[in-house]
Amino acid sequence: MSRRFVPIAVMALCLAVPLFAQTDPGVRGGGAAAGAALSSVVANNPATILNFFNDGKARFQEIDSVSGTVAGENGVGLGPRYNSRGCALCHAQPAVGGSSPFTNPQVADATADGARNAVQSFITQSGPVREVRFPFFFDQFGNPDTSRPNGGVEDLYVIVGRVDAGTCTSLTLPSFSQAQATGNIIFRIPTPTFGSGLIENIDDATLLANQSAQSSNSFGIAGAFNHNGNDGTISRFGWKAQNKSLTIFAGEAYNVEQGVSNELFPQERPLPGEDMTTGLPSSCRINATPEDHTNFNTTATGTLGDSAAFAMFMRLLAPPTPNATTPGGSTSINNGRNLFNAIGCNVCHTVSLTTSRSSITPSLGSATATLYSDLEVHHMGSLADNVSQGGAGGDQFRTAPLWGLGQRIFFLHDGRTSNLITAINAHNSNGSEANGPSYNFFVNLTVSQQQDVLNFLRSL
Amino acid sequence: MQRLIALLLFAATASFAQDVMPPDFKPDPATLKKLPEGVLIVKGAEASASDAKTPLPEGGRIADGTYGNDYFGLSFKLPGQLREVFKGPPPSDSGVYVLTELVPPERSQGGDRATIFVTAQDQFFALTPQRSAAEAIKLKTETLPEYYKAERPPYEMKLAGRAFARLDYTAPVAGIHWIVLATEIRCHNVEFVLTGRDPKVLDALVASLGAMKVGGSAPACVADYADANTLYRKDPEFAEHKFNPIPVRIVIDTKGRVKHVHVISAFPEQARRITDALFEWRFKPYVVNGEPAEVETGLMFGAPPRTRATKVAKASD
Repeated sequence: MSRRFVPIAVMALCLAVPLFAQTDPGVRGGGAAAGAALSSVVANNPATILNFFNDGKARFQEIDSVSGTVAGENGVGLGPRYNSRGCALCHAQPAVGGSSPFTNPQVADATADGARNAVQSFITQSGPVREVRFPFFFDQFGNPDTSRPNGGVEDLYVIVGRVDAGTCTSLTLPSFSQAQATGNIIFRIPTPTFGSGLIENIDDATLLANQSAQSSNSFGIAGAFNHNGNDGTISRFGWKAQNKSLTIFAGEAYNVEQGVSNELFPQERPLPGEDMTTGLPSSCRINATPEDHTNFNTTATGTLGDSAAFAMFMRLLAPPTPNATTPGGSTSINNGRNLFNAIGCNVCHTVSLTTSRSSITPSLGSATATLYSDLEVHHMGSLADNVSQGGAGGDQFRTAPLWGLGQRIFFLHDGRTSNLITAINAHNSNGSEANGPSYNFFVNLTVSQQQDVLNFLRSL
Repeated sequence: MQRLIALLLFAATASFAQDVMPPDFKPDPATLKKLPEGVLIVKGAEASASDAKTPLPEGGRIADGTYGNDYFGLSFKLPGQLREVFKGPPPSDSGVYVLTELVPPERSQGGDRATIFVTAQDQFFALTPQRSAAEAIKLKTETLPEYYKAERPPYEMKLAGRAFARLDYTAPVAGIHWIVLATEIRCHNVEFVLTGRDPKVLDALVASLGAMKVGGSAPACVADYADANTLYRKDPEFAEHKFNPIPVRIVIDTKGRVKHVHVISAFPEQARRITDALFEWRFKPYVVNGEPAEVETGLMFGAPPRTRATKVAKASD
């Protein structure tokens, strides 16, 4: 064999022999293990509650248009700026109420019904659904002004050009390219909402007791709580645990992501800072406000405004069902569960918490929520996004609940990876509270043990 | 006049700076400035101090292969190949510090791999009572989850001539071992947490820590000194209530005045108002053997303390 071919032959051999290392099994197939109602809701206990779940789900799946006059798009109030046109377009994986799906709906959202928006480079067909924030306002030179934090959502699209845009023929969008050029841009992906009624019904005292119980850990982990600014109680929804209740979460998202003003957020939303300059133009304030509100001429489920209906749907969603055997088999999954605890992941990803008594439906009351989160905010080092929300600083994030992780596609707050190993690796950096457990994973576990942990996580 | 008009126009433009950059904005490449990558600018509650000279628990540094912490009077040579690759998180609102995280420089697997995390829990702000290192180890032992197993009952050992409470435990399912060595310094439970697969490697690391130095002078530390000894108190006025616990350590001089303030976790405005207020407080001087002495104590603002630290006054180490 000539010298020229030897290196090629060696290379071919290396490629042919698989590397013996842990691998992320990938998104678990076999049908959606989430999306159903809580068992007592399925049993219609109390009577008619199942109607509220179904009605809420139907509205969650509605596509919004500006005035509700486009066929098949019965929702009212889209825009004038928006990120997507319906809750279930983004909260879709593996079922309605979930997280970012395989096909990003924001590509189609850009030009739906005649809209003339450009699709930004960070929005791709197979990438995650993303909302954009600029950590800082810009100065007059177009550079980020670090003395003026921003952090609000910058909508991707405007209704201009849509068949129902009416008088709204011109509306500015921020310069995403400028934000990218100056590194002044961060992303967030949709959080899954399965089991969120259980999260909502965990008493503050339970969370505080868990925090105390975990405080003698040997990893230097010490999280904090985000607090609702009105009454000081613990808030728990959103990437930084900034929202107190599902109703607030729903109302805010309806206004910020779809542009629908509602009883919780009654005004049309300008871009961050826009009110200080030109303000939202009157030509794009098309509907009376709030666009979503209690319906006075109907009864039962129809009375609720959309925001309240969304919240009730999410509240009544059952948590995801873990799989006892897939991937890897039950022995691997059980071993992985024990290893997950042993290396300290469960200090932040607390396995379960108990809910309070529920006035809504029995399944929410005194229930074990196996959510794998302490609902605290922790310092996460280089995962920082320089956005502060409530008491959570730019490097602090709520411990992401891991239930349902097995069927999620994108990980971390910005969906930067679909690989679980990469996500775990991202826990290890300067200033991170997770260095101990993540270091244990990569160094103190054998490859086989690491695979067991991955299999366990993908079984959730 | 024209210059004045130009100045006023500039000021007006600057004050309503480019909050909304139009999509067709064309920046001048010559003035384009990118945000530094990996730099945390927007912080939440953080630690601060009234002066830059007084040593702080989080002020430890590694230089020439030695970890040194002037606040605790602690120094030790980095054992073996261990290095500080990443720094730990900032101090928590329950007084937890990660002083240093020592790991092998290469993140590969091997039986001789081990890590040492050095942490400190401020006794005044612990979420569960930990009035001594022995009590902290006892608590850790009693609350060990079922997937851990103590390899022997906790015991006291001497290291570098100093008493340490020691707990050895293992996670049988993982084959990982821990040795926790806890000692009390300035009313903090300082823990050396050694982790690895080979107990012999861990024991060797323990032995190498025997050369550590702990010493230096420090004020006496007394829990809840303010409770019965405050002569004048001015409450800080907060513009906004953020509901976060704000643990603070102060050093009181021989005349009963606040000499130094260390706000362990607070938003900048909170830290400023608390520090300004505390410098107006007056205390009964702390007396040792009939002589006034400096004393260090803790105060919690923003939220009630979760536990009471109450303990007997200690002389400085």
